Amino acid sequence: MAGFLASKCSHVGRSLLGGLGNKLSATVSTQYEMANNSFLSQIRSFIQMRTVLKVVDNSGAKKVMCIQALKGKKGARLGDTIVASVKEAYPNGKVKKGKVVYGVVVRAAMQKGRCDGSEVKFDDNAVVLVDKQGQPIGTRVFGPVPHELRRKKHVKILSLAGHIA
Amino acid sequence: MRLEKCWFCSSTVYPGHGIQYVRNDAKIFRFCRSKCHKNFKMKRNPRKVKWTKAYRRLHGKDMTQDATFEFERKRNRPERYNRTTVENVLKAIPKILKVKADRAADHIGGRLKGSKQKKRKEDKRELEQSLHMVKAPGAFNEDPSFTLPVDTKLKVKVNQKQAVAMETE
Repeated sequence: MAGFLASKCSHVGRSLLGGLGNKLSATVSTQYEMANNSFLSQIRSFIQMRTVLKVVDNSGAKKVMCIQALKGKKGARLGDTIVASVKEAYPNGKVKKGKVVYGVVVRAAMQKGRCDGSEVKFDDNAVVLVDKQGQPIGTRVFGPVPHELRRKKHVKILSLAGHIA
Repeated sequence: MRLEKCWFCSSTVYPGHGIQYVRNDAKIFRFCRSKCHKNFKMKRNPRKVKWTKAYRRLHGKDMTQDATFEFERKRNRPERYNRTTVENVLKAIPKILKVKADRAADHIGGRLKGSKQKKRKEDKRELEQSLHMVKAPGAFNEDPSFTLPVDTKLKVKVNQKQAVAMETE
């Protein structure tokens, strides 16, 4: 339940960001930061059953809901693979609403430890849809992705992504 | 491996320390410790928080321009390995650090020096202008009106009616 609420709130945060983000540069933008930070200060949790994630590729799905994390008892984290059901989709996309798909979590608002001991966290929960073999369904990836995907053998996603954090 | 600067306090973030937050426009905010991260989450502006480097630079408390800062500059092209260069750099590092520390101390020293003179000047002026407020200690002994009489008791006339009224109340 808590996870569900958190993910709901994350959408609010995202929409605010989307509205403001394009016009303001990174240097000024107190408004931007405010929208950002109120969203940041919540307690983040694992990606678990019923977490709704944004799809950041051109597979045709807009939002998916996690129905199973393939690794971890508590849920999925950054870089893990999940099984999800498509909740919203663009018309004429490869993926239709209601389908069960696999996805790699490329952004997670909950912080994850890195190999050197520092931590990394992102703005939202986002996923890239893949097939069962781990090949991405879409041909583009939007936004930053973590370099940890290389260790998870998702090099294709890394090469498609514009920014690697 | 790269030593990054903390977004909030501008201190060095060594590998394995702190947290980094990646915004959706791929801007990375690195923080050296939870203190800086929390301040960021509280939407504080580092230019307005007194203990940050940004504040100190802005208010002239630290050096802003110095040749020693050039050595710390971020370079996007990796340096090609050269044994002699490494040797020279390792030799130079302690010297550079010493020069930097000395210059910083000079800067702070210069700042304090000016303020001391200014304060002395102000004190002098106050002393000249408001000398009448100061009374010499000897004056208390000479003039009995400044002190309470020690041995003599004060005699106050009491009206009979007033005293009765006070008692009944």
